[in-house]
Amino acid sequence: MSRLERLVNLTAALIDAERPLTRDELRQRVGGYSDDPVAFRRNFERDKDLLRQMGMPVMTEVIEIDRSESSLGYRIRRDDYELPDPGLDDGELAALRLATSAVQVGGSDGVTATALRKLAGAPGKPAGPRPSDSPGAAVGVETAALPGGPEVATVFGAVAARRRVEFSYRGQPRAVDPWRLSYRNGQWYLSGYDHGRSDARLFRLDRIDGSVEAIGSPGAFERPAEAAVGPAAAWQIGDDEAVTVEILVDAEQAAFARASLGAGAVCSTVADGSVRFVVAVTNRAAFRSFTLGMLEHAEVIGPPEVRADIVAWLEEIAR
Amino acid sequence: MIPAHDRLGRMLAVVPWIAANDGPEVAEVCRRFDLGERELVADLELLFLCGVHPFTPDTLIDVDIADGRVWIRFADWFRRPLRLTPPEGLALVSASATLLAVPGSDPDGSLAGALAKLESVLGVAADDAVDVQLGPVSPGVLDAVRSAQDSRCKVEIQYYSFGRDHHSRRTVQPWRVFNAGGQWYLEGWCESAEGHRLFRLDRVTEATVLAEAAPDPPVRSGPPAVFHAAPEDPLVVLDLDSEVHWVAEAYPNEGIEHRGGGVVRVRLRSAGRAWLERLLLRAGPHATVVEGDTTVGPTAATRVLARYRSPG
Repeated sequence: MSRLERLVNLTAALIDAERPLTRDELRQRVGGYSDDPVAFRRNFERDKDLLRQMGMPVMTEVIEIDRSESSLGYRIRRDDYELPDPGLDDGELAALRLATSAVQVGGSDGVTATALRKLAGAPGKPAGPRPSDSPGAAVGVETAALPGGPEVATVFGAVAARRRVEFSYRGQPRAVDPWRLSYRNGQWYLSGYDHGRSDARLFRLDRIDGSVEAIGSPGAFERPAEAAVGPAAAWQIGDDEAVTVEILVDAEQAAFARASLGAGAVCSTVADGSVRFVVAVTNRAAFRSFTLGMLEHAEVIGPPEVRADIVAWLEEIAR
Repeated sequence: MIPAHDRLGRMLAVVPWIAANDGPEVAEVCRRFDLGERELVADLELLFLCGVHPFTPDTLIDVDIADGRVWIRFADWFRRPLRLTPPEGLALVSASATLLAVPGSDPDGSLAGALAKLESVLGVAADDAVDVQLGPVSPGVLDAVRSAQDSRCKVEIQYYSFGRDHHSRRTVQPWRVFNAGGQWYLEGWCESAEGHRLFRLDRVTEATVLAEAAPDPPVRSGPPAVFHAAPEDPLVVLDLDSEVHWVAEAYPNEGIEHRGGGVVRVRLRSAGRAWLERLLLRAGPHATVVEGDTTVGPTAATRVLARYRSPG
């Protein structure tokens, strides 16, 4: 019997089991294992690890044989194993295939093919959302690349299962209920409830030291509906006294400023094309930094103390 | 030979679909699951010998291939595929959410439908548990450069060079348009500069598709390197107080060194005078130029101050 055959039989036996089965019971039921106990044990452990690596929920349970003796038993519960049918139609499957070919997610090589097969593959050839008659046109052309990798995947799994995660961040251990995963400014952010700090926090995933562990059982918390979506602007993350700042931005930088501040911040457009913005600020240093990033193409109009602050800052550099 | 878990994963995905469909054509199974016919038949032959104790006919999987069709019976353990793993879920959801975040994608189309169903099965549907935003770009500019790329036409852009604080009009032969690091880029051959260039689309204020055809782009794959400090770019060495250690994190650099007293020394390649001006104005008195042109910061500060001092 080939190892692959043995693995199929082992999977079937674990799913078929109505109670946890001991290693010896599995040896009898599956077949294909060595008669030598040491070799059997080694092969069985390897097989079990492989199934778990594939994502199979192989449960280990303690079986009481009698008062003085217990043994470990194994099985797979169907509800944990089976992918609920999402009910995708052929058009939706084709769209998924197109999306995975157009967007590269880091660390997904080889993963995507298996994922699509689990969803019943994709019928026919992929069809593009932007059909074009020109030769070589852009069906399935790489459109975007996102970072990924094991840490992002673990956090994604924990957000989905609502399991707590533990990791080290800025040199400190954290225990977090992961609420949301957001991709902003080329980075993945996790928002969630930080148990050590008893408050909501935002974490940049690439700044996590080492690995992320999902711990405890699924459904450990409810995701609050009102949680902040992604990071706020830098000048709104701070404890400075809230102030409403007015800036004037030259025409050539106005599009950049509008994209950064939001269309809602536009106050008026001046005849020469420059634009006045009104912005709520609770981190004045961050806002000064934003304004100076536009060099002499932007000017703080008021209030006077914010304008005076930026002038004093510049004078210190100019000295 | 492919690893056992890859082949097992494939079989456990294909079997439920064949079993649930009454004798699908072998060719359709192959097309749908992206498999060669020999691979599929080899998998099915192996499966034919599998089952559970006591391996009587009704506990063995029954596979029947006839007239180009295939049936599977008695495979109830595998009536559904295995759940998606976290990496698989992330790959599908983030790729779909990303494509949907591209301006102009259809919010009610097939992909949106697929994503909603997937999210619901995975448990991330409620309250936007996974959310992707790509960088700022004017929809008109993105449309124009993508349309130039698709139709193989040259495109004229009005571009703001961040490093030189300078606006210019350029004619570009587009190679491709893509998003990386959260920014939109046009990659192509710039006729004005006579060279291969990357243009950040949030710095393109206008784009017009020209009637003139552009040559085919060179064949390449994988996203291009977006950040590349050239060794000939001038070296700048800065000492940073603890208030501005973010500079060492935010800018690509050639190494940092802790100098004691909370000071970090960082070596950077300047991407242009305006680039360095911005950095020095933002860091202000908390950064000291140790190596490089020490007049850049004061000159820029004086220029910006002039605006604040000019009447009205």
